[in-house]
Amino acid sequence: MNKTSTLIIHNLKKTKGQYISFGLIICLTACIMNIALVLAFQTFKAYDSSFSELDTADINFMIPQVSDDSEIIDAIEKIDGVLKVEKHEGVFVSAIVREFAESDFDMKTVFYNLDESRTLNRFHVSEYSEEDEDIVYIPMYMKEMGGFFENGNITYSVDDKDYTYKIGGIVSEMQYGNYGTGLIGAYLPAAAYEKFSAEHREQTVTEYSLRTNDTVDLSKVKNKITGILSDKGITALNINDRIACKQTRTMVCTLLIVIFLALAAIILAVSIFLSSFRIRSTIEDELAQMGVLKAIGYTSKLIICSSVWPYTLVGIASTVIGAVLSYIALPYVAAILAIQSGFIYTPVFDAKALLIVIIIPVIIIYLFAYISAMKIYKLGPMGAIRGKSGNGGAGQNILLAVLSIGIMVLLSFAGTLLYNISVKPDNFMNTLSEESPSVVFTVQNDKMSELTKILQGDNRVKLVLEYASTSVSYVDGSLIAFVSEDFGKVTNDICYEGRSPVGEDEIAVGNMLAEDYPIGSKIEISISDKASVYVVTGYIQSVNNAGKVCQLTNKGYEKIGEKMNMVNVYLHEEIAEAFIEEYEEQYDTLITASVNYEQLSEAGRTMYAGIVSVVAVVLFVISVLMVLLVLYVIINSMISRRRQEFGIYKAIGYTSRQLTILTVKQFIPVVACSSILSAIAGIWYLPVINQTIFSQIGAMKNHFEVSIWILLAAAILFTAVALFISVLLSAPIKKITAYSLLKE
Amino acid sequence: MSRQTVISAKHLKKSFGKKENIQTIYSDLNIDIYKGDFTVIMGSSGAGKSTLMYSLSGMDKPDGGQIDFDGTDITKLNSDKLAVFRRSQCGFVFQQIYLIDKMSLMDNVITAGVLTSRNKENIKNRAKELFSLVNIPEITWKKNPSQISGGEAQRAGIVRAVINNPNVLFADEPTGALNSANGTAVLDVFTSLHEKGQSIVMVTHDKKSALRGSRILYIKDGEIFGECDLGKFAPDDTERTEKFEKFITEMGW
Repeated sequence: MNKTSTLIIHNLKKTKGQYISFGLIICLTACIMNIALVLAFQTFKAYDSSFSELDTADINFMIPQVSDDSEIIDAIEKIDGVLKVEKHEGVFVSAIVREFAESDFDMKTVFYNLDESRTLNRFHVSEYSEEDEDIVYIPMYMKEMGGFFENGNITYSVDDKDYTYKIGGIVSEMQYGNYGTGLIGAYLPAAAYEKFSAEHREQTVTEYSLRTNDTVDLSKVKNKITGILSDKGITALNINDRIACKQTRTMVCTLLIVIFLALAAIILAVSIFLSSFRIRSTIEDELAQMGVLKAIGYTSKLIICSSVWPYTLVGIASTVIGAVLSYIALPYVAAILAIQSGFIYTPVFDAKALLIVIIIPVIIIYLFAYISAMKIYKLGPMGAIRGKSGNGGAGQNILLAVLSIGIMVLLSFAGTLLYNISVKPDNFMNTLSEESPSVVFTVQNDKMSELTKILQGDNRVKLVLEYASTSVSYVDGSLIAFVSEDFGKVTNDICYEGRSPVGEDEIAVGNMLAEDYPIGSKIEISISDKASVYVVTGYIQSVNNAGKVCQLTNKGYEKIGEKMNMVNVYLHEEIAEAFIEEYEEQYDTLITASVNYEQLSEAGRTMYAGIVSVVAVVLFVISVLMVLLVLYVIINSMISRRRQEFGIYKAIGYTSRQLTILTVKQFIPVVACSSILSAIAGIWYLPVINQTIFSQIGAMKNHFEVSIWILLAAAILFTAVALFISVLLSAPIKKITAYSLLKE
Repeated sequence: MSRQTVISAKHLKKSFGKKENIQTIYSDLNIDIYKGDFTVIMGSSGAGKSTLMYSLSGMDKPDGGQIDFDGTDITKLNSDKLAVFRRSQCGFVFQQIYLIDKMSLMDNVITAGVLTSRNKENIKNRAKELFSLVNIPEITWKKNPSQISGGEAQRAGIVRAVINNPNVLFADEPTGALNSANGTAVLDVFTSLHEKGQSIVMVTHDKKSALRGSRILYIKDGEIFGECDLGKFAPDDTERTEKFEKFITEMGW
């Protein structure tokens, strides 16, 4: 580099603005990439480390305490790969949590004795209250999502009886600390637990916690457990394993990592094209100069080196700065993630991430810069001095088109994400959840048809649908079953392949079972000692239950279980609270419980949409920033290249306004055409991008609406910004006299 | 005493264009350039003066023929080897000057100097000597090309061209873009360098510039149409001037 250092420094100084803008983009890329990589490298590890620290069991399952006997533990201890088994007592109930995110939320809750000694599934409590009675310790998820806080009150309604406790502290544990697993923990001090369990003897459960060796296949162990229980005529109330739990609790983190990495890749691609554009422009601009360098003895390699190294050096510096800056944002990102994951971790410096963040972009920058500069090999000194580059502006227009398309992909993705979160939030929620009715009523036995009739006659009601979710078993463990009278009526079709069940012998299964159960195959589903075989008709998605779900028709379910007494009510307007109040008062003989799902959806929407809309806004801001930077580089380079030409135009009588129009006309048609084409193509490619990203968290069926109007608006915005910047950047032409331009 | 040939070109061929539009510049041109000569190549516009000069210097490849440059057949060198060859063997002065803009004159010269020497101090010292030789004051060394006059820029261009002690200094219409006073100053530098033993090949259609040469070659119809030895330049030598005038008249100037 000794021979070229003067030229490299000269190049860096000469177009400082260009390198600064390039550096800013790379800095941004590195920042986003480092956040994604640190999250990828540390969140899951932090989860595992907390998992080990708290001696969390690899598998947990619960059975009614009345069904438990000493033979079960003996049999389970003999399963290959099981190292340790520990039993805990709990009370497993369906509890309505009052004022959970300002609504009543029916949550399957296990109440544990906080003081019970345990060596597995230990937990950490933020602080212990001095009081002992009417105190409960809740998981962080309840605090963050439900809006509860230390020393505040929480009310659980179990079997129509309200239990109000003061929140003594926050529990960190790794198994039931997130409702995504379908179960949430609550921890009562010994006295409070004794009191509570005495009132719910029938719901007292024995939880078996198993520690297995690392190499064992957890599903095989679960299979054997189900076999042991089945032989005794017992159905597990819940069976949960390490892998599924981790997947659920790190869902948003995975989503963020995927989005951030995709974003970093797009920005990197745009900046690479930008550097490529700049190098090609420089070759065009400084053709004669390069010819002279060749004349005085510079080899092509040395000249290429002087073009490529400034970008590489800026790349190295910017990636380091970007990676360092990301550590300012990381604690905030981790805090946002903690809301959903239910466990806190503090991001620390990650050398591996830093190396990747520096090495990958820098190698790509170097390679692309080198490829762009390779044209110099073909330049003869004579031809260059005489201004024969052998290549016109077509290549630059192609680059400009590629850059425009790249930015449009970003803008369109961000715009579509925002649109589906803010304007059409149901699309977003339907992607991440199952049915979202306004109200769910639990109906008295045999009163379903009576209530349904009343509801159907109510003109405020849009749809009435018998729909319930419950737990069933299959050979490898338990599944959440969605049971409905008619899946053709559902408002959120979660079936992404094949179809939902219609007949009583049919079933649709979750994506986790798709590999083992092809469409047309048979699966045995059981509840306690009743089992039936169903034909798989399709696959359904489920984000919240790690894909371990199924759909059964009412009749299909009734072959193994009792008739479900739940009905979904979909209202025309958002009046669920008043509606419930009215129905509970008028039809108290028909309704045993009601859930304001409208409020609940809103709470979930606020939580998930809150996180994702932050990401979408960040995406949007980054996209606009990219537009500004890219256009600055391109337009500035175009104007500086044509300054002498402008001087000639001015000399022969062109006005500054005409010259500005001339500049704008050179690239705005390319920008406009590529962005409009990209917008139109977005109708096809955006669903693929959305599908790819959301399938990473199990959302196999993406409900996002890709609006052509949003895409066209993005294209118009992009073109308008391009126009505005070009006019802005052309302004200095006014101040320069024809003579001074010509003199240059 | 026989003169030492520094460049010997045989059977040179060069044409531009393709198929029907082919324009032959020369098809069998032979030329020798001697060490220590100030060779001036003249000819009418489009005769191929510059093309010939750039072929002789390895800047452009002829379509055929051989060019022996101080013992090396440069037609056999690839572009990178030619670049390395040019570093020590050739210096170039262009009509449009082509100093690197936004780079000081000193750095412009160093940019060429670092190609043959690793010692920047030595390069700087030699550059200072040369700047003094071409009458560029120290205050100007740090200025950028856009901040100085055309004459100063061209003289700085000469300093860059000779910083590596080239075997032959090539100049393509070096005064073509300068006014009379600046042109004379530049020509004085060439004369001064020639007096110090520098071999020079200059292409020009300017009589005043051509008169500085010791040997005039006239190109016409793709061949060396005529040649005239003028000897060393002396400003008041009317006999020399008349000889030159007679020669170019005979050539059809």
